[in-house]
Amino acid sequence: MNTSTPVNPSASPRRDQRTGSRINGEYIAPLMLLLLTVLMIFASRLISPALGSWSQMLMIVTLSTFLLLVSFGQGLVILSGGMDLSVASLFMFGGVMSAGAIGADGGNVAYMLPLILLGAAAIGAFSGIGIALLGIPPFIMTMGTGIIVASLALGASGGSTLGASPPLLSALVKGSIAGMPCILVFFILFCLLGIFIQKSTVFGRNLYAIGGSLGAARVSGLPVTSVTIAAYALSGLSAAAGGALLTGYSDGATLRMGDPYLLPSIAAVVVGGSSILGGKGTFVGTIVGCLFLVTLDSVIAATGLSQGWRQIVSGVVITLALLFQSGSDNALAVWLENCAKLFKK
Amino acid sequence: MSHLSHGIDTHTAGGLRPKAGRKPLFRGALLAILVYLVMYVLYGLAEPDAFSAYSIANLFNNAAPLALAAAGQTLVILSRGFDLSLAGVISIANVLTAIAPFDGPLGALFSLALSMAAGAVVGAVNGYLVAYRGIQTIAATLGTMIISQGIALLLLPVPGGSVAPFVSDTLTDMLWNTVPVSALIVGFFALLWLGLKNTDTGIAFYAVGADDNAAALSGIPVKWTRCKAFILAGCFYGAAGFMLSAQTATGDPNAGLPFLLLSFAAVALGGTSLSGGHGGAFGSMVGAAVLLLMQKMLFALGVASFYIGFFQGVLLILAIVCGRVINRPRAGGTAR
Repeated sequence: MNTSTPVNPSASPRRDQRTGSRINGEYIAPLMLLLLTVLMIFASRLISPALGSWSQMLMIVTLSTFLLLVSFGQGLVILSGGMDLSVASLFMFGGVMSAGAIGADGGNVAYMLPLILLGAAAIGAFSGIGIALLGIPPFIMTMGTGIIVASLALGASGGSTLGASPPLLSALVKGSIAGMPCILVFFILFCLLGIFIQKSTVFGRNLYAIGGSLGAARVSGLPVTSVTIAAYALSGLSAAAGGALLTGYSDGATLRMGDPYLLPSIAAVVVGGSSILGGKGTFVGTIVGCLFLVTLDSVIAATGLSQGWRQIVSGVVITLALLFQSGSDNALAVWLENCAKLFKK
Repeated sequence: MSHLSHGIDTHTAGGLRPKAGRKPLFRGALLAILVYLVMYVLYGLAEPDAFSAYSIANLFNNAAPLALAAAGQTLVILSRGFDLSLAGVISIANVLTAIAPFDGPLGALFSLALSMAAGAVVGAVNGYLVAYRGIQTIAATLGTMIISQGIALLLLPVPGGSVAPFVSDTLTDMLWNTVPVSALIVGFFALLWLGLKNTDTGIAFYAVGADDNAAALSGIPVKWTRCKAFILAGCFYGAAGFMLSAQTATGDPNAGLPFLLLSFAAVALGGTSLSGGHGGAFGSMVGAAVLLLMQKMLFALGVASFYIGFFQGVLLILAIVCGRVINRPRAGGTAR
């Protein structure tokens, strides 16, 4: 195992991602969040015995998948030191195009779906070009792109809601292969793919370097421009894929379907231990962040509290979760670190 | 960020050098004013009524809430943070003013104080979480935003209530039929900012945003400064919510949400760097005015309402690109 871990890893401001560290500081936050999520699932049995059941868990995984797809791209962009505010619009783009251009008969899905995803990647790349080549702040560029896409969709559809989801997408979300729910398989495959892209590819490592220090990345000759553009393109693509899947799940697409995913996509990444300034974070953290947020939502929805109280509880739990993971003096963090050390022996 | 890399960043972005010669703090606001004037002329060409005192007052009333909100957001961004709680505070302030109307000038002042106090409380929580517990600004303020949004919903579950007549009438009116009252209020807060900018606190905001390590070494209480930025920003959001109530004359528990992203756009248009340390609240106020005039101008020019967003997005990007081109002819572009 890795011996280069400092005395107190979570105290150091920035750890080297390329040394291939095991359970060190950067996994403490996701671990604690996972613990909290599991605790929440057990506690939810007190509210309603239907919670914590297999079907409930599958529901959480299903709902997490949509958020996870958006958060994956958002995470890559945040890793590079930026932020993508156009994910809501691209999510909607993926959903509305799937419902509108493919529709219920789904005969053209083989070429339409890839085309839609490519289109979304191109829109994402447009943001990336503005940011990397013209030096526009990511906040503004992606917000502008988002407004443009949303407005075009509104104009093209005349504001009406589109129905009909392609059978392939419905099958992917609702069907099962050999007793295994498709969505679970997809969720696991996507988690593995995401971890691989962020942690093990040259592209992923370049993102860490760019987010850690743009100046240093430039000086050392990394392809900063193309990597940045690629990150935004991937973000657009994965957000649109999330929208397409949600269309399969909800049997239709609406123009506002992406809105509830914008802030949670950022929250999932940050709650999962990534730095909003870039250069630090793991996709494992983001996965746990998504599971945490979706579980929290579904548990709170089951409480029957009024809308106001639900939001207050939700905000308090998120804040407590952040407090719970923050700071190296945290008793639980120290305990988990000690456990990790025991495993190393 | 490490000290070294930060040094490289600001150097390549040309952040520190032109300061001595060309006053970058003012340039951002100047550009926003220029954009505003161009848009105003276009608006005036399409809408001959545009130069009347009535429509000028209308523009000010429209822009006042966002201008105050963006000014508050600037304080947090200057000290290198993002504040999402803005949406929640504006909602609370709006709801408070609508469910507990106090009439008369003193009542209005009391409502304003109440709104600002609510903002200060939320800001203090943000400041504690960020400065003293080390939580990332966007995460901490997301939590407080959801909580304050929930509090607004508890106070007023559905849109309704009505604002005191004095607030909704007088504050949106004109003084002696020429000077819009809302302009005076926004002007007061702008002066407050200009005064604050040169105090130790104001300078500390810039120092902490530019490099908190250097700021700490030169004796600035970094944590308390961060905290102060959030509390002051909360006061501005409260005032923004109050002005919004004056404009809409009713309460809506979700009133603050549309302001969230717009505030960032206003700050960027006003020439403040979103990575902290450069800019000012005055520019953001002008930026807010630009954003709202943009909508009116597009409408007056006859753009179909469905596609207004399209041109808004394009104009937003173009305005920033122009700013970059004018400010840094030699820059190769940066990813931030």
